Amino acid sequence: MTRWTVLALTLVLAGLPAAAQQAPPPHGTPRDFVLPQRETLQLDNGLAITFIDYGVVPQVTILAAVRTGNIDEGDETWLADVTAEMLKEGTASRSAAEIARAAASMGGGLAVGAGAEQSTVGISVLSEHATAAARLVADVLRQPRLPPEELPRIIANFERSLSVAQTEPGAIASAALAELVFGDHPFGRAWPRPGQLASYSIDAVRDFYTANFGARRTHVYVAGRYDRAALEQALRDAFDDWPAGPPPSDRPPTASSELQIRFVARPDAPQSSLRLAVRAPGPAAADWFPFSVMNSLLGGTFLSRITANIREDKGYTYSPGSAIGVRRGSALWTQQADVATEHTAAALTEIYREIDLLRREPPPVEELDRIKNYSAGLFVIRNASPNGVLGQLAFMDLHGLPAEYLSQWVANVYRVTPDEVSAAAQRWIEPRRMTVVVVGDLPKVEESVRALPQVQGAAVR
Amino acid sequence: MQVHKQTLTSASVLAIALWLGGCATLPATAPATPPQAVDAVAVPVEYYRLGNGLRVVLSPAATAPTVTVGVYYNIGFRIEPRGRTGFAHLFEHLMFEGSANLPKGQFDKLVQGSGGVLNGSTRFDYTNYFQVVPAHTLEAILWAEADRMRGLAIDQTSLEQQRGVVKNEVKVNVLNRPYGGFPWLSLPQYANENWHNAHNFYGDLGDLDAATLADAEAFFDTYYAPNNAVLVVAGDFDPGQARAWIERYFGAMPARELPPKPDIAEPPQRAEKRQAYTDKLAPRPALALGWHVPERGTPEYYAFGLLDQILLQGEDSVLWQRLVQQRGYASAVGGGINMLGDMFTYDGPMLWVAYLIHDAEVGADAIIGDVDSEIARLQVEPPTDEELARALTKIRAGLYDTVGSSTRFGLVELLACFALFDDDPARINQIESRFRQVTPELISQVARDYLRRENRTVLRVEPGQAAAGGGS
Repeated sequence: MTRWTVLALTLVLAGLPAAAQQAPPPHGTPRDFVLPQRETLQLDNGLAITFIDYGVVPQVTILAAVRTGNIDEGDETWLADVTAEMLKEGTASRSAAEIARAAASMGGGLAVGAGAEQSTVGISVLSEHATAAARLVADVLRQPRLPPEELPRIIANFERSLSVAQTEPGAIASAALAELVFGDHPFGRAWPRPGQLASYSIDAVRDFYTANFGARRTHVYVAGRYDRAALEQALRDAFDDWPAGPPPSDRPPTASSELQIRFVARPDAPQSSLRLAVRAPGPAAADWFPFSVMNSLLGGTFLSRITANIREDKGYTYSPGSAIGVRRGSALWTQQADVATEHTAAALTEIYREIDLLRREPPPVEELDRIKNYSAGLFVIRNASPNGVLGQLAFMDLHGLPAEYLSQWVANVYRVTPDEVSAAAQRWIEPRRMTVVVVGDLPKVEESVRALPQVQGAAVR
Repeated sequence: MQVHKQTLTSASVLAIALWLGGCATLPATAPATPPQAVDAVAVPVEYYRLGNGLRVVLSPAATAPTVTVGVYYNIGFRIEPRGRTGFAHLFEHLMFEGSANLPKGQFDKLVQGSGGVLNGSTRFDYTNYFQVVPAHTLEAILWAEADRMRGLAIDQTSLEQQRGVVKNEVKVNVLNRPYGGFPWLSLPQYANENWHNAHNFYGDLGDLDAATLADAEAFFDTYYAPNNAVLVVAGDFDPGQARAWIERYFGAMPARELPPKPDIAEPPQRAEKRQAYTDKLAPRPALALGWHVPERGTPEYYAFGLLDQILLQGEDSVLWQRLVQQRGYASAVGGGINMLGDMFTYDGPMLWVAYLIHDAEVGADAIIGDVDSEIARLQVEPPTDEELARALTKIRAGLYDTVGSSTRFGLVELLACFALFDDDPARINQIESRFRQVTPELISQVARDYLRRENRTVLRVEPGQAAAGGGS
């Protein structure tokens, strides 16, 4: 079977008997992957600094993570985002253009942004500029001018982004899902109300900054190759006298556990954008690892059952996937897919079929082993770069996870049994508690979706 | 600047991925005060050909216990058959649908089930298949790539399934979203004259429907030959061992006669083109400007690469500062040379593109006027020493980003493209020195010669929808 002429024929004569096939050569011996060392110190004002010494190229990333974000906005949606963006608009000693040029001259760009629970100011630069980069990050974080003359432009930018998001089916589906699942909590307000952004004054931005930024909420991560003594000194000099500021807030949301469904009209859409979501355990929960492996097997990887079914077998969709969205106190499992309009109900049926099967029957060991290998391999890929490790540590610190979370990660994955996978699906992936969103051409899809047995009795919102 | 270069047939092993060399030589045009010594990117490169013409690039570096494998075929969507637009990309999907010893689904299972990630993509001048896997699984991955290079075992059912997947890909990326395909898919169709550069690369849905199994067979026979491909292995492996495996699994495939390359040259553009279309899902207007760039590999091309850095890359860039920071026309201005890769990863005519989404209150001509005045400045005055130094720093940092990435996908891509298009993968180690040879005067000259109105296409997207969400 190694001759080209013969094999050209197999293109047409598919489905040759399995006996004709050769097996792949066996694997060699796995090699060890050693996680890089890290060291954390704390300044008197409460600011923490973690050093990760790792990397093959002369670059260093300095990232300040501040424990604030949309969670602290109340009902002033995107005020955290506007505030973060305004940080780049100049400091006591530098204009916005000077900040951008200084960052580029060091081989980087200043990245600033607000997340749900964390806002970040970060930059990745050539190692020789490490101390100057540390000073730049501190300057932007501590001395922002928050200039009133730039606010209208920043708000216009967000208005423009909002108008685009509101025409993207995936963003529409995610916003509807957030609203249904998190209700009145800031996490439930994915988008500002019409006119709301324009109502934010510079005082609102400055008040948000004062109320939410400070040393106690800030953790600075350094990863890459750098002169440790010089960089530590620069960071101490830059942050030592920053006032402690407020302690972190704690406003965990409560995710819905009710069966509910929303249909969003998108006339003539060639695809339906689907979301199915349900509460999930967080990373500190006892069944986090079984649940996490279960997610990879059910919908979270290209190998997963739902992907194999609705993409590879049926061709209903291009990029389906499930994921665990982790927030403090409230994790959420979501399966998403953009499916051809004519296959909307069929795709949902297949998704429910795979969920049901996994809840009823533990997966075969062989299949589970593939998923574990995949998870372990991904762990190495993810942690084999300075920024990868940095991201993992920032996640662990936000969620209060011990060092063993990382060091025992691979061992914990390999410990998961088929029964535990099925039990995790049984316990958490409960269709009767799900929130379902369908964005699409409703005259063509709504009736057939409403007829599905799994959504009978759902509150239609 | 020293460059660590291996002879192409050497089997010697380089122990480290990067070494740091002092800057021994500088171009004659360097400023009188020598800049501080700089670290040079130095990637180990071993390059050779099998008897059947398969080009092989090995780049050993034990930075993490993983290895990255890329197989690049010299067939992109530019030269897919007429009447079969989108076929190169549809075929890319079929390469995952089974080969003699790996039935449908088994390739994915082998790679991912061993702890790796994989993907494939179709670009202007190549189609690639790549994976990063644990180091101890390399032999099986090489075996598997050889299996599907030798021949596919696909059937009508696979074709129908993947046709469905691809049509859904087009819907999700182009048809069912605002600004779908803008400007990467739409602009080349207006800016180019030669069909090869100007057709719909994703494919008209009718053409996708017309594709047959016989088309797939013929396409495979024509283009998926060992002598039309390059195999790159980078990461933690023993090159001697890898050579033996590569010979064992790939060596027996016969070379095939390749068809002559079609003429993909673009005629010189003589007058500015202005086009517009309405996007029924877009809430705001958008504008893209595209200029034909100098021929790849020439001094003018490297000068253009620096122009791109100065004008468009990063928030410090001239156009960002003018259009975003000062004028507030847009939240961002994007673009570059080759919207589906970078300035090294194509082989033929190419556009430099700048694009933005702006508000209806601002006319396209006001934005174009600002762009023109910034370009005019560089046409008259060469960039300052500070501007040029900053541009070079951005290029160096970008190279480090590529070389330092834990997946090595960007590194493998550069090695593969320099092998496929230049027969010289070690060129990766000369990138920075080629940029350093560019003089400020040449940058100004290239701005005059290429960033001319007559060499430009202006594409406007008119919004077909007022900003509004859906509602139940």
